[in-house]
Amino acid sequence: MAYWEPIRALGEAPLVKPGSSLKDVTHEIARVTETPAPRGWWLAFGLASMFAGIFALSVAYLFYRGIGVWGNTAPVYWAWDITNFVWWVGIGHAGTLISAILFIFRQKWRTAINRFAEAMTIFAVICALIFPGIHVGRVWVVYYMFPLPNQMSLWPNFKSPLIWDLFAVGTYFTVSLLFWYTGLIPDLATLRDRSTNKLRQRLYGFFALGWRGSNRHWRNYERAYLILAAISTPLVLSVHSVVSMDFATSVIPGWHTTIFPPYFVAGAVFSGFAMVQTVLLIARSVFKLDRVVLMRHLELMNKFLLLTSLLVGYAYSMEFFIAWYSGNEYEMTHFLHNRPQGPYWWAWLWMVIPNCVFPHLYWFKRFRTSIPVMFVVSILINIGMWFERFVIIVSSLNRDFLPSSWGLFRPTIIDVSTFVGTIGVFFTLFLLFMRWLPMVSMTEIKGTMAQADPHWHGKDEHAKEPAAEGGLVPEGAE
Amino acid sequence: MSKRAPNAALPPSIDGSPEFPQGHTETPPSDEALYLGRRGLLGAMAATFALVGAEGCRRPVEKIVPYGKMPEDIIPGVPSHYATVLQRRGDALGLIVESHEGRPTKVEGNETHPSSFGGADLVAQAAILELYDPERSTAPRKGGAPATWDDFDKELGAKLAAYDKDQGARLRLLAPPTLSPTFLRMRAALAQRFPKARVHTWSAVADSHAREGARIAFGKPFSTLNLVDRARVVLSLDSDFLQTESGSVRASKAFASGRRMRSARETMNRLYVVEPARTVTGNMADHRLRLPAGDVERYTYALAAELAKLGAPMGPELSASIARRASAEDIPAKWLEAVAKDLASNRGRALVIAGSRQPAVVHALVHALNAALGATNATVAYVPPADPDELDAATDLKSLTDAMAAGQVDGLVVLAGNPVYDAPADLAFGAKLAKVPFSVHASLFVDETGDKCTWHVPLAHQFEAWGDARSLDGTVSVQQPLIAPLYGGRSDIELLAQIAGSPERAGHDAVRNTANGLLLGGRQLAACSAPDDLGMLQCKDASGNTVPVRMTDLDREWNRALAAGVLQRGQARQMPIAANASAIAGVIGARKAPAKGALEATFAPCPKVVDGRYANSTWLQELPDPVTKLVWDNAAILSPATARELGVAAKDMVTIKAGERSITAAVWIVPGQADHSVALTLGWGRTKAGRIGNGRGFDVNPLRTSDALGFVAGVTIAKAGGEPYFLAQTQENNSTEGRPLAHEATLAEYQKKPNFAALDAPPPRSLPLWEQADYSKGHQWGMVVDLNACTGCSACVVACMAENNVPVVGKTETWRGREMHWIRIDRYYVEKPEIGATADEPAVVSQPLMCVHCEEAPCENVCPVNATTHGEEGLNEMAYNRCIGTRYCANNCPYKVRRFNYLNWHNDSVWKETGGLPETLAMQQNPNVTVRFRGVMEKCSYCVQRIQSAKIKAKREYRELRDGEIRSACQQTCPSDAITFGDLNDVNTAVSRTARIDRRFGLLAELGTRPRTTYLGKVRNPNPEMA
Repeated sequence: MAYWEPIRALGEAPLVKPGSSLKDVTHEIARVTETPAPRGWWLAFGLASMFAGIFALSVAYLFYRGIGVWGNTAPVYWAWDITNFVWWVGIGHAGTLISAILFIFRQKWRTAINRFAEAMTIFAVICALIFPGIHVGRVWVVYYMFPLPNQMSLWPNFKSPLIWDLFAVGTYFTVSLLFWYTGLIPDLATLRDRSTNKLRQRLYGFFALGWRGSNRHWRNYERAYLILAAISTPLVLSVHSVVSMDFATSVIPGWHTTIFPPYFVAGAVFSGFAMVQTVLLIARSVFKLDRVVLMRHLELMNKFLLLTSLLVGYAYSMEFFIAWYSGNEYEMTHFLHNRPQGPYWWAWLWMVIPNCVFPHLYWFKRFRTSIPVMFVVSILINIGMWFERFVIIVSSLNRDFLPSSWGLFRPTIIDVSTFVGTIGVFFTLFLLFMRWLPMVSMTEIKGTMAQADPHWHGKDEHAKEPAAEGGLVPEGAE
Repeated sequence: MSKRAPNAALPPSIDGSPEFPQGHTETPPSDEALYLGRRGLLGAMAATFALVGAEGCRRPVEKIVPYGKMPEDIIPGVPSHYATVLQRRGDALGLIVESHEGRPTKVEGNETHPSSFGGADLVAQAAILELYDPERSTAPRKGGAPATWDDFDKELGAKLAAYDKDQGARLRLLAPPTLSPTFLRMRAALAQRFPKARVHTWSAVADSHAREGARIAFGKPFSTLNLVDRARVVLSLDSDFLQTESGSVRASKAFASGRRMRSARETMNRLYVVEPARTVTGNMADHRLRLPAGDVERYTYALAAELAKLGAPMGPELSASIARRASAEDIPAKWLEAVAKDLASNRGRALVIAGSRQPAVVHALVHALNAALGATNATVAYVPPADPDELDAATDLKSLTDAMAAGQVDGLVVLAGNPVYDAPADLAFGAKLAKVPFSVHASLFVDETGDKCTWHVPLAHQFEAWGDARSLDGTVSVQQPLIAPLYGGRSDIELLAQIAGSPERAGHDAVRNTANGLLLGGRQLAACSAPDDLGMLQCKDASGNTVPVRMTDLDREWNRALAAGVLQRGQARQMPIAANASAIAGVIGARKAPAKGALEATFAPCPKVVDGRYANSTWLQELPDPVTKLVWDNAAILSPATARELGVAAKDMVTIKAGERSITAAVWIVPGQADHSVALTLGWGRTKAGRIGNGRGFDVNPLRTSDALGFVAGVTIAKAGGEPYFLAQTQENNSTEGRPLAHEATLAEYQKKPNFAALDAPPPRSLPLWEQADYSKGHQWGMVVDLNACTGCSACVVACMAENNVPVVGKTETWRGREMHWIRIDRYYVEKPEIGATADEPAVVSQPLMCVHCEEAPCENVCPVNATTHGEEGLNEMAYNRCIGTRYCANNCPYKVRRFNYLNWHNDSVWKETGGLPETLAMQQNPNVTVRFRGVMEKCSYCVQRIQSAKIKAKREYRELRDGEIRSACQQTCPSDAITFGDLNDVNTAVSRTARIDRRFGLLAELGTRPRTTYLGKVRNPNPEMA
């Protein structure tokens, strides 16, 4: 880890609470996995796993009877299933963005949240990938989508955006997982070394891949991390671009739009940041992480939210403009009548108001730095972004070319339980992650501390002398 | 081993011992034998084979033939086709039934039969499902408890012996109007044995008024045969002659032939319709006047007066009597002047048709009008009816119920029909039935009547029994059984013969004898002896000479009749006949002014379930009503203005009162409905129809009285309160939203701009994404649908369900939008002020839509697993085995014609309670079409199975495919020949010729999909003087 020092002339501030020692950092982060879980964790875990159970039951029922237990129908053949898929994929964007792109741009402030965001990416993409898997009519032959050599002369249709989608999201998941895991290795070794019982030693030891903190290890690690970051960066743009092509390459008014790839990417980053913020705010207060997750981080994220909100708002208005400008009758009817005035006008308002109105609070520092405001707004954005996908998918399909086939989508209880269930799955995985893995990267945090400077001799007047480290951890600073 | 009981109908072997060896653990035949077991099926199949094997001299079987003895002419996998006939109200529809290894599966019209000319209507298409209805009556019942035929025969025999004493004075029979010569012969035999017994006639839907009208006009009842094809101007006075009236299939063919319009130089007929409620006929009208049914009589007088003014020869007496009654109040002047002028100026080519709901006097006057317009024997012919003795249904039934009430009836045999449900409310048939000590109900179902009779016996279906029928035009056809009776029923002829004590107890013998009589009658021979040892008959000719006739000649003619489906052609076209003007004038003069009221209720047979007899058909329940697009229900239909006046909205429950009688029904609002008239449909609200039909819709019979079967004035409608009723529709949007979809023009516009349809549609703007396939070689299948011919009758929808094993999903799932019909009929209301079509009185265009087989199909690109691909012959093909059900193709289909199996519909929808699709219904399914499981997408395949089998046949015969050899199910059944299918690569095929017609356009062609199914734009022929 290259050493980083705040440039005070630029108004930069330390990223770790001044006065923290390396041990403080190690201790504060590692203790979460070592001490008994707080009551709040158990409560949250109980709730989340209950919803995960509801999800399992819903899916079991879905498999038993068929897609008909959901509400999607002619002409809205996709509804909550794909809405949820796109929503979760979108949420899965922030992780890689924060990790990879900010890493490459040496945005050290990312260190407080990157592990978190990466974990969120992994779990969100898991939740996302569930949907294309379970939403097909014959789930037992879903492997027909894969290019597996077989005797049945089956081969996927590479013209189909769904196949592109499968590869894009699959690649994204794989790379994100590798990226996350690579980053975890030094920290896993720390946990291993702090372990006091055999099982923890064995497990953390297995996943730490024999990390000893040698110079060679660090060199390889940093090179691998950089390469993975470089691979991930284009993926951030490609995944949601490809997801958007499911819609953009179709003929349906409301889907058939060239603006979709950048629009979807902006939306994905927007929703991803909002979700990171929601989860981070909870974790920060439950696990008292305010030493590493500073208000400065949160404020930076809010600025990001404001930017992406503007991008999304621009895309919304551009869709309307192009519909009018094109003169295409079907497009005009769709955008000028069906969306804001059709049967799903309320969903359209749920999309526009949370996504394009509330983030404007962040023009003001007072709101940017208010935890309650950002918590509420982040949740509103999550909802708004879900409705964005709902509006795009459902309100485009419900009234397409032939008025005779127009119809409504009405969700069923299984639609709701499947969706709420995936939130349960997400939080279950997340809570397990927070409990058993270091939720903030100790390695990288330390890289931003004054102690990481090879020439540091306690010259930072604000920092107290580092406490005797006693070789407790193989420290990240060389 | 089948866990079901064996077929109760299994015939015993010759020595009378049970067919199964002793010690077999099968349960004895019981009433629970709801389903035909495997053994029963094999037995039935074998029996049919045996019949087939003796093709031409098909004798009833007495003994099951083992399956191993392969009959001649049967190749497993190759269906056979048999000609038969289906009795319908007032007309007998000649049919060809497809049979797979003895299992009838599909009904088509018989091309050589003049009542169908190859077409069929939706009820005929659904008849096959009625045959296999798992809830048909399976065994006789006495007092609700299972009984056997032996018990019945014994009891009936004893009763009849008792009746012999007083010549049957206490015996009554009740049967629907019949078209069968054999039935009439048996009725005569009954009259011989029981001279005092009476056979009454009742059907909720009958042509009694028309008969009475003819009697007034001609002194004798005649059936009216409208030769619509010869008419240039047609005026329908409340007659839905294209769908629910007698002879609608032949009328549809004839009507469509007058609007074929192969080029702008041709002319077309013009249809005026005056009717209270929207019908398929009204939808086809060039001018439609919505008028309460009670005002149609007044309109007829006024029109007659107007025609008299224009010099139509009606005679002074009639003119005077009309002039006294004519009142043009509330009737637009142009509807009298312009219409009369149009009719009068088309002398000999004009036709007025009166609806069966209208009183006899209207029919009589219409006969006079037609005579005055020179229509007699030009555009209308009069034919002696099949049953010359038939009485007015309501009067006849009233005399029966009066006798029942007076205790004069000891034995009543109801031969088919369901009078407890559908008899006029004032006759209280059900209550009076209780006074009859011995009542027998013979029917396909243990229905409301079967439940109340002391005995119920299963009737054989028309596809299970021998019979015959005389069509509207006098053509006689033989009804051949397609399968041995599934539940051991007897036919009405057999039961009648049994009661009459006729020696011709077997239906086949009776029908054969009738046929021989008709054949000999055709040679002017009569009084024949029985055949001698050499097979010679001695007959007498007209002058009394003895003429020998060889029996083998008769056999040959009989065989030919069976094969062709026509025994004797009708010869009644040119009857010299004249309307008796003074008699008509007398009736008009004596006619009381019809009762006036603020609001009237009209009763019409449902296009789907008719009078309720088909209520248990899943296909028909799920079929969207051609006008309202409602499924699984009927409704009380109001016009928007009347609904506003009454303060009710669609789906509101209302109480409709006529005098002291009242019903509750849900409201549906249809623009084009006459104001101050509520349209009610018969046949719904059944309580004992079966699992499918019970409790569907609203029973309107309580409002129907014997003196007002057609409509009743002075009803009141009040909100009944409560939750709005749950109604499901397949098409929720009625407007084209101004989009160029179903193109239409007036005749003048068409003549000015012959290719209006192609010009009105924006030209293709998108370039294909991929390299274009080479479609110039081999067969390239395509279809053209003529919007000018399509009436929207929906027969094609049922035909497609029958052919392609299309599942039924139920009301709730249809409401969700999951109906599975491969073909749907989009019905748009069109507002076009220049033809008088306004929001309250919109014109209608019907657009049948099935997969259009795009050459650049949006569905194909997006399927991730190549489950939908393009065949070399231009078909967009579904590989069900590949489909994983992402539904992306359906999303991307701009026509929304793809259908997804959201659940395992066959088992997990309407038949869920019985544990899945009953076995008998599975017997109906076409073995050449995959039954789709849940999770796969499906859609119209252009009946690819028919294409393949025709290709195989041509290949085996070393020849090219012939044009017309392949017909899709929808095309084949279409009664107005609106659909043409064939090879577009061959310029000489019918489809290529049709595709060159200037009105052609491709639906949504501007998307660059290059649809293979194209349309011919609709042309309306408004009268310029009506503007």
